[in-house]
Amino acid sequence: MEVFNIVICGLGGQGVLFMSRALAGATMLRGYSVITAETHGMAQRGGPVVSHLRIGHAKGSLIRTDCAQLLLAMDEGEAYKNANFLTKKGHIYVNTSSREFPVPEMQTYFSRQGITYRKFPALEVARELRAIKSANLGLLGYCAAYAGEPFFDSEALEQVVDRLSPAQFREVNLGVFRAGLEKGLQEQKGQNTERRRKGIMNNKRVR
Amino acid sequence: MNEDIVLGNGAIALGAIEAGCEIVTGYPGTPSSEIIPEIVKLAKRFGRQPYVEWSTNEKVALDTAFAACLTGKRALCCMKMVGLNVAADSLMSSAYLGTIGGLVIVSCDDPGPQSSQTEQDTRLIARAAKVPVLDPSDPQEAREMVRYGFALSEEFQVPVILRPTTRVCHARQSISYGEIQHDFRRALFKKNAQRWAATPMYRLVQHGELNRKLKRIAEKFDEAAPSNIHNMEGDEVYPFGIITGGVPYAVVQDLLFEEGRQQEIPVLKLGAPYPFPERLAVAFLNRCEKVLVIEDTDTLIEVALRDRRKVYGRLSGHVPEQGELVPEVIHQVMSNVLSEMGLRPLREDTSWEAVEIVKRLDLPVRKPNLCPGCPHRAAFFAIKRMNPKAIFTSDIGCYTLGVNMGAVDTILDMGATITMAAGFYHAFAQDGLQQPIVSTIGDSTFFHSGPAGLINAVYNRARFILVILDNLTTAMTGMQPTPALGIRADGSEGGRISLEQVVTGCGVTCLETVDPYNLQEMKSALRRAKAHVTDPQGGIAAIIARRPCLIAYREEGDVRRFRVTDACEDCSYCIEHFGCPALIRDEEAGCATIDDGLCSGCGVCVEVCPKKAILEI
Repeated sequence: MEVFNIVICGLGGQGVLFMSRALAGATMLRGYSVITAETHGMAQRGGPVVSHLRIGHAKGSLIRTDCAQLLLAMDEGEAYKNANFLTKKGHIYVNTSSREFPVPEMQTYFSRQGITYRKFPALEVARELRAIKSANLGLLGYCAAYAGEPFFDSEALEQVVDRLSPAQFREVNLGVFRAGLEKGLQEQKGQNTERRRKGIMNNKRVR
Repeated sequence: MNEDIVLGNGAIALGAIEAGCEIVTGYPGTPSSEIIPEIVKLAKRFGRQPYVEWSTNEKVALDTAFAACLTGKRALCCMKMVGLNVAADSLMSSAYLGTIGGLVIVSCDDPGPQSSQTEQDTRLIARAAKVPVLDPSDPQEAREMVRYGFALSEEFQVPVILRPTTRVCHARQSISYGEIQHDFRRALFKKNAQRWAATPMYRLVQHGELNRKLKRIAEKFDEAAPSNIHNMEGDEVYPFGIITGGVPYAVVQDLLFEEGRQQEIPVLKLGAPYPFPERLAVAFLNRCEKVLVIEDTDTLIEVALRDRRKVYGRLSGHVPEQGELVPEVIHQVMSNVLSEMGLRPLREDTSWEAVEIVKRLDLPVRKPNLCPGCPHRAAFFAIKRMNPKAIFTSDIGCYTLGVNMGAVDTILDMGATITMAAGFYHAFAQDGLQQPIVSTIGDSTFFHSGPAGLINAVYNRARFILVILDNLTTAMTGMQPTPALGIRADGSEGGRISLEQVVTGCGVTCLETVDPYNLQEMKSALRRAKAHVTDPQGGIAAIIARRPCLIAYREEGDVRRFRVTDACEDCSYCIEHFGCPALIRDEEAGCATIDDGLCSGCGVCVEVCPKKAILEI
């Protein structure tokens, strides 16, 4: 299989490394080889944190620019800064509640490259559940609802989140993850209904 | 067999346990810090009892490991590359004396640098010390090379260096666990003063022996697959080939695979580059018209190849001389060289468009910052207030970030805050000038390299204020215990060394211990220190600013809550001079405000605000 590359980015303290470990764990649970690259040390103190995850038989741990099929961003600014990692027809999932994402120049770039972007207010969702520190899992859940790859299934992810979470955060982590997943699934259902309705209206477009 | 996703440093630890390593020493430093904790974990898992210690510094660690290997046991010594500078004295001499049991020194390089003072190349230090060096390309290979390193060390009685880089140490990879095959050995030291206490005359003999060993090892490295291997077929001659090793090897392999050009462009991998496998390299070179050398982070292989007309690399200006060789850089280098030779370049990278757009967006630069509630911030605030005109020498650790507050002017190496403070003092004193100097250093860094410099400063009558920022841990590298805590690497109880006793033992007579959260007390301690430094009968004044690291000693339960009142005049003093991430400017309301999600509830900002506009709720 072709190597599948995922970039996860955000700021120190937003749980980027946890997302990366959960994804790596879930991938392995499904029998795939994985190699990841993490940021440690000085860079972690509130600065940008990036994790690279490569599924399949990659030798190097770093993803080259223009090669990632998927970008998960906990911060808008970091989403922009890492957008150059995305390959044509890649997907980007961003934690944001801003209407202004993406800025017009970036939107043009995305459509030219055939990149799909989806926004999800993970922090808001986590805040409603009184667990702002678990916002990362909200975004992961939301993304799992959309991702169709065999190594990216929500069941395996949920199992790994359960295993990796420290006891006192297990319930909230799983709660936020499920909330994100649920939102993503509902959204998709809505889109499908919408598409179907439009299809019917346009007549015979649907077989 | 049991598969798991393992951190590169965990894979190194696994290799050591599998090789039957019984003695482990080291000092933490990114990217090496996780090796020792991983060994502690794996030892428990496999029911082994290696002796494991956090040493006070890298020289101490290497001396200790060296002695242990003389008893026939296998010893591992872990550090980052700048730590190997500290241990260089021990390394150079141990190469002459040689080993009995295997001795593997893990010195982790940090191209970039991500979290270091330099981008130095451990392989060059290995060459300077005349010891073999292994350069793994991924965690799995690092694990195998630890085992190979022990065997090599025992076969030739020489220390062996493993040089993983950040992208090996901090990669995670699926790895299977195997069996532990090594027999454990009882300690036995055979006296041989002529060897172990060699005088200069015998050192000359030992140098000759070492040189002969290196020749034999180089021959072994000519055939050391899979560390040293190429993929040329038959006796075909190629227009272009690549010689590489370590992490760049992995990147080159991925690139050639993606582009489907593995048959066309042969690769010689040198994972064991020193002593240089000359025969293997020359045979490869002879079958290529041109060769590109891609290596982290200096020019060991390129210099050893000698043929300038055939070799592209750093010396020919084709490979950047600084910075990490990330995949996109290697892609660019390969593409440029291929084009220059009239060969087909690699598929173009079009993502530069995104980079151009992002540049124009003018996004805020996120600098690393001290955590909200960090006791260092409170200490730096008081130091800066009380000594606005001082030269601030500082050191290696989280508190390096005091540079954001203008409270750090110099950083050189571990312990240099004290020695540089003394140097500044003598330079100004010579001109009859009283230049205020405040030196800051963390507790772990002080234990590492503080005392020798402090003794020297007291002895030579330097004068400055020394503030030891004691947060009761080695925070920057992941909360390793310090000698003051009485907790050892494996969690067992250790001797407890009092920081106060060490400071006074170094001859400092003026010493106070204060809580930096109490700004008033911190300021008055600094006032008294200043008086001592300027007093004709005075000298160095030391303050221990003691408050546990907020992350290491996280407290459960409710935190105190604070708010900004109407008294705030939007002067931004707190944001500019204190710089806590939890203090932000509310653009709409036109005043400062506190982000409850970030606030740790330390309450230091209450005293910082000149308008007394911050109150506890």
